[in-house]
Amino acid sequence: MSPWWTVCRKELVDALRDRRALASMLLFPLVGPLLIAVTLNITTEQLGQNREVELPVVGEPHAPALMAFLVAQGVTIVPPPEDPLDAVRRGEVPLVLVVPDDYAERFRDGMPNTLQLIVDPSRTSGAGDRTRVRRLLEAYGKRLGLLRLAARGVDPRLGTPVVVQTVDVSTAAKRAAIFLNLLPMFVLLAAFIGGMYLATDATAGERERGSLEPLLLVPVSRTAIVLGKWLAATAFSAATVVLTLGLTLLALSTVPLEDIGLSFSIGVADVVGILVAVVPLSLAAPAAQVLIALFARSFKEAQTYLSLMVFVPTLPGVLFGIRPLEAQPWMYPVPVLGQQALLTDTIRGEPVPGYGYALAALGATALALILVAVAARMLRSERIVMGR
Amino acid sequence: MIEVSGVRKTFGAVVAVDDVSFQAPNGRITGLLGPNGAGKTTALRVLSGMLVPDAGTARIDEVDVVADPNAGRARLGLLPDARGLYPRLTARENIRYFGELYGMTGARLHDRVAHLIDLLELGPVADRAATGFSQGERMKVAIARALVHDPPNVVLDEPTNGLDVMSIRALRTFLARLRDEGRCVLFSSHVMQEVSALCDEIVIISSGRVVASGTEAALREATGAATMEDVFVAVATS
Repeated sequence: MSPWWTVCRKELVDALRDRRALASMLLFPLVGPLLIAVTLNITTEQLGQNREVELPVVGEPHAPALMAFLVAQGVTIVPPPEDPLDAVRRGEVPLVLVVPDDYAERFRDGMPNTLQLIVDPSRTSGAGDRTRVRRLLEAYGKRLGLLRLAARGVDPRLGTPVVVQTVDVSTAAKRAAIFLNLLPMFVLLAAFIGGMYLATDATAGERERGSLEPLLLVPVSRTAIVLGKWLAATAFSAATVVLTLGLTLLALSTVPLEDIGLSFSIGVADVVGILVAVVPLSLAAPAAQVLIALFARSFKEAQTYLSLMVFVPTLPGVLFGIRPLEAQPWMYPVPVLGQQALLTDTIRGEPVPGYGYALAALGATALALILVAVAARMLRSERIVMGR
Repeated sequence: MIEVSGVRKTFGAVVAVDDVSFQAPNGRITGLLGPNGAGKTTALRVLSGMLVPDAGTARIDEVDVVADPNAGRARLGLLPDARGLYPRLTARENIRYFGELYGMTGARLHDRVAHLIDLLELGPVADRAATGFSQGERMKVAIARALVHDPPNVVLDEPTNGLDVMSIRALRTFLARLRDEGRCVLFSSHVMQEVSALCDEIVIISSGRVVASGTEAALREATGAATMEDVFVAVATS
C-alpha cells in the first residue's frame, strides 16, 4: 500500500467519525437549497399575478359597477370581518376595501369618491394582493375619468399626456438567472467549506495534539504525507460540491418557476460541465487550506484564517451581481473567477465554449499542485514542524 | 548501536546543544540524565533526523541520520516528547496506522500489533477510542506505536513523565525485556532514581554538554559520592 493512500484513508476514517467534519460536509448542502427554495417560493408568491384574490369589502352594495369590474378582473368579493382595522392589524386578512355610504350619491354628482384600502405593509405576506387591488382600483378610476371626459365631448386622449411603455429585453431565462445567481455561489462555497475542517484537523490539529512529530518519524516522504492529507480533504470537498449541486437542482425543480414566466432548464451536459469545472476547485481549495493551516501557529489561528478565506468564493458572485460582467476567455483559467463565469453562463442558458470548462479545470488543478508542493516543502522546515 | 559525536545545535542565539558525544551499545540500557533544558530532547531530535545539527553527526547502526534520515528511522523506534494519539481511532487502529506507514501489511502487521497489545497489557482498551485514555494507557499506545516495526534501537524521551508508580514499574520491566532481547535502549530522564534503578550506562548532560559518563558504580567511584544525586551535583557544578 502506498504511504499517501495509508495517510489518506486514515484521515478519511478519522473525519467520518468526527461530528464537526461530517457536519461541514453534510449540513452545508442542505442550507443552500433550503434558502433558494424559500426565497424563490416567496418571490413566486409575491409576483403571482393571475392568482385569485379574495377581497373583503365594507359597503359592497353602494358600488355595484365597481364590484362588477373587480369580479371581471378575477377578484372574489367576500363579506368583511367584524372589525376590519383589527383584522388587518392581526393579519387575519391581508386587506379590506371600504366603500363610503355616500358613494352612489357622489358618483352621480361627478364628485371625487374616497375608497379606503386598509393594509398593513409591515407584513410581507399579501404584498402581491395589495399591489394587485390597488392597481385595479387605479385602473378603474382612470377608466371612469376618461369616460366622463368623453361624455362631455372632450377627447379622452387629453387625459393621458404620457404613456410609459417598458421594453423588457431580458429573456425569461435571463430573468431566472437573477434569482439563480445564488446557485454558483453555493457550489463554489461548497468546495471551500467541505474539506475545511478536515484540512485544519489533519495539519494544525495534528501538531496541536502532539501527533505530528511521531508521524514525521516514520520513514515516509513528507510529500506523501501532505499528499494523503490533501486528497482526503479533497474527497470531502468534492462530495460537498456534488451534494450541493444535486440537492440545489432538486430543490429548484420543486419551485413553480414557470408560473412567474421564468424558464430554467439544465441538461445533463450542463451538469457534467459544471462538475468538470468545479471539482478541480475541490483540489485547489483544500490545498490552500492545508498550506495555510500548516503555517498557522495553532488550530484556532488556522480556523480564523480559513474562515476569512471562505469569503474568496463569494467575491466574484458579488462582483458579477453589482456589475454584470460578460464572461471573457481570460477569466476561465483563473480559479474561482473562471468557475463563477462558467456557472453563471450555464445557468443563464448561454452557450459556453467547451474549452472554457477545460481551462477552468486546468487552472485550478495547476494551482492545487503548486500549493501542495509548497506545503510539502514547508513540512520539511524545522520551524513549521515544531510549531515555532 | 547509537553513536552521537560532536553534535551542536543552535536556535538563533540560543545554544540548545553545545557539544554532545556519547554511545549507546546494543544489549544495554543507556540513560541520558540531565536537568530540564539541558538539551536532552534536542539531542534526541537530532538523532531522529527531525533537526539537522549545525555540527557533528549521529549514527544508528552505522547509518548517518543526517545524510539519510529515513534509513536511520527505519532502524529506530523513538518515543518523542510529543506523544499525542488520534482520539477518534482505537488503540489498535492508532498502532496499526503506524505499522502500515512502516510498510507492514497482512498477517505480519496483524500479529505484531496483537503481540504489542499483549506485551503492554493493552487488551482491555485495545478496541476503545483513545479519547478517554489515562496517561498510562496513552503512554503504552505511544510506545507500541513507536515499536511497531520491531526496531533494533529504542529511544524514549522522558518516558516516565506523568506516569503513576505501577505504570513506571511496568515500563521498567518492559525496557529490561527489550534490553535482554539484545536491543540498544536509550532513554532520557531528569529523575535520578529512575536512571539509577534501570540503567547500565549513564550519560550526564548539563548545559548542552556531556559532563560525565559510565556505569553508576564507576561514576560514584570517580566522584566519591554516595548516591546518583550527589554524583549529579558533583559533575554538574564542577
